[in-house]
Amino acid sequence: MILTRRDFLKASAAIAGAIAAASGGLGRIRAALARETDAGGLPVVWLQAQSCSGCSVSLLNSVHYNTIDHLLINTLDLQYHPTLMAAAGESARAEAEAARRRGGYVLAVEGSVPSGAGGEFCTVWDGMTAQAAVQAFAPGATVILAVGTCAAFGGMPGGSPNPTGARGLRDLGLAKPIINLPGCPVHPDWVVGTIACLLAGGKAPALDSLGRPTDFYGTKVHDNCPNLNAYNSNYAKHVNDKPRDSKPANHCLTCHTNTDTHIKGPRTLGGSGCLYPLGCKGRFTYADCPTRLWNGGAARTPGVNWCIGARSPCHGCTQPNFPDGMTPFLTLSGLGVKD
Amino acid sequence: MATIKISPVTRIEGHMDVEVTVDLVGGRPQVVDAKSSGTMFRGFEQILINHDPLDALYFTQRVCGVCPIAHGMASALALEAALGVSPPDNGRIIRNLVLGANFIQSHVLHFYHLSLLDYVDATGLLDMSPWNAHYAAPDLIRGGAASRFIDHYSQALAIRRKAHQAGAIFGGRLPCSPVFVPGGSTEAVAPQKVADFRNLLAEIRGFIDSVYLPDVNEVAALFPAYAQVGRGCGNLLAFGAFNLDAAGHSRLFARGRCTDGAPAAVDPLEIREDVAKAWYSSPTGLNPKDGLTEPDKGKAWAYSWIKAPRYVDKVHEVGPLARMWVNGDYRKGVSVIDRHAARALEARKVAEAMAGWVGQLNAGGSSYTYRAVPASVTGKYGLSEAARGALGHWIDISNSRIARYQILTPTAWNASPTDDAGRKGAMEQALLGTPVRDAQNPIEVLRVIHSFDPCLACAVHVVRPGRAASSAVPGAVAGIVTSPRR
Repeated sequence: MILTRRDFLKASAAIAGAIAAASGGLGRIRAALARETDAGGLPVVWLQAQSCSGCSVSLLNSVHYNTIDHLLINTLDLQYHPTLMAAAGESARAEAEAARRRGGYVLAVEGSVPSGAGGEFCTVWDGMTAQAAVQAFAPGATVILAVGTCAAFGGMPGGSPNPTGARGLRDLGLAKPIINLPGCPVHPDWVVGTIACLLAGGKAPALDSLGRPTDFYGTKVHDNCPNLNAYNSNYAKHVNDKPRDSKPANHCLTCHTNTDTHIKGPRTLGGSGCLYPLGCKGRFTYADCPTRLWNGGAARTPGVNWCIGARSPCHGCTQPNFPDGMTPFLTLSGLGVKD
Repeated sequence: MATIKISPVTRIEGHMDVEVTVDLVGGRPQVVDAKSSGTMFRGFEQILINHDPLDALYFTQRVCGVCPIAHGMASALALEAALGVSPPDNGRIIRNLVLGANFIQSHVLHFYHLSLLDYVDATGLLDMSPWNAHYAAPDLIRGGAASRFIDHYSQALAIRRKAHQAGAIFGGRLPCSPVFVPGGSTEAVAPQKVADFRNLLAEIRGFIDSVYLPDVNEVAALFPAYAQVGRGCGNLLAFGAFNLDAAGHSRLFARGRCTDGAPAAVDPLEIREDVAKAWYSSPTGLNPKDGLTEPDKGKAWAYSWIKAPRYVDKVHEVGPLARMWVNGDYRKGVSVIDRHAARALEARKVAEAMAGWVGQLNAGGSSYTYRAVPASVTGKYGLSEAARGALGHWIDISNSRIARYQILTPTAWNASPTDDAGRKGAMEQALLGTPVRDAQNPIEVLRVIHSFDPCLACAVHVVRPGRAASSAVPGAVAGIVTSPRR
């Protein structure tokens, strides 16, 4: 069954609300994932560059669309993944080389790619730098998934002063379409949902200007935040204030003193309400965390919690300027964030 | 005599090569030399310089996506030492519950998804990638018994997911939890959260007792020789973890070591890190509170990005076996099988403790105590444990910014290269004497390596502050640093 873009969007939107109406659309995504291709599963080669493996660990938490065991057995033909594969050493390399020669795989890359030291800050196996590996495996790929913020945009290893010359895949000059799936780590649904789209439609989902699927990254955290009303009441009119008297713009002390009682909202960590004073980057961050939530327990249901739900301000982990443009992550003083 | 290089070592976290030399000893082929090499470097500590001190809570969790919570905990503890604040009970317990949930996730993942395929042949059961190509070995479990293990492999995928789900109830999300802060946790205690956590924990404890522990026992029974393989140096070290009071005077796992068979205390000032065989041009033999690290990939005779941590000039192993031994909970032996057994027993111990801690939470009570960041402080640290062993963070703050940040990880202890005095690292020593039946299929070597649960992203995070960015690009530095400095 072909899943139209409209159906896919309906399924994604349904996560936020009416489960009953959604079950049909979600059912189609699950059907796309359950269908075995004639070749025995969507071929995937998964390389790790300067990764922490957090995106792989996060993928193992998949449950909303389908669980990882089902995905590995029925949906995917995971021809190389260093964390899970039985083979080691030369036999693992032989698996990778056989996959490369066969071609026709989705190349998933997790972790940034260092250019420093001739690429030798990261080797994936003897004599093969991560940079060389990505360049060797790109030609045989139908599409490249940059899994996580590191692979998409450089991420934390790319934080100033970027000691290893870490780069995202988009800076490697690869002549293949890249779908960026940032997140630190990526949400498993963003990976699995993208794979479902590839399986159902045979082509990439709609992408934003940063190459991210709009189905998952099309809205800002701010836009669907349950604290939005509190933000609009208490802080919206002060945002975009000019700096004044050597105090930065948008800083509460620009206009108030520490003891003013009309500075609303949580002034220290652990308080509930809009977390703008504590440094929330939700206004700058595109991700569907507020509706999808994290770490779900069952299919077709949202997760159990999320950063803002746990009273921790959004730290902007899906954005290309993460981390440098999002630090300091916390404004402990509760006195607002510099834009 | 044969040299076998396993590159890449798979079913670990991160990038590692292991090279062993096999020769006949008493007519039997066994490992006579071993080198373990971490092959990826990022430079987190250089990146942390000049950041707001609380940024470390977020950065350091990305050192490793399997044990991010341990880093969040160590960072929160280091910052609490720097800020001079302790968490209220709710905050302390919430952090212990999230760390405990991640410990259990990690141990289940390690046995079933990283280690089991060294002992079980999935042919005929999972005849597909990524399970279908592996070293051949006549002693692999096959047939009916294999079928049961593979079924448990699948169940274990669900259980580790549920451990993360439980952790996220209080941790916000896993991996990489944003609730760890000096002074406690951002997340609060609510009755529904307590109930949901309890339900998941009960299911997880059932799996540990009725599936995980019996499976480890069965592997131990089917591979009895491995209770005498992989001993290594025999010295064990633990920083201790899971504070049971605000100041951390009492912990679920004590701080201590067993050196040359004798129990002793651990003083962080006695730790030093050698770089004789590591790709760094900076001085060797430094304590983490003074450290400097400048990468030099061209350094002669070096073979790893991992430094060589030593305690009182002796090699020590860290991990669940070390923790359980130091705490008096496991004293059977040091071997491949003992590491797996201690890990499983530790999972049960932690899960049981968590059930008690949940009952100590106070709904509506505070989880956080505010304290400002000082403008300047030096030499403060937080010591804790990741699933795979002792973990420490050291911080200096100057002008309200991070001036130095040091991380000493468990796999640095375990997978370290040779130190300045020529002593091999814990895993390298454990490999010595390992019988190797077939050099083309060195599964015995994998079994020893995997027993340590290596995490290489952690092992080679190390970067030290001090020098400018330009020196991060390695130049042609001659020779090896031979004179240890303090």
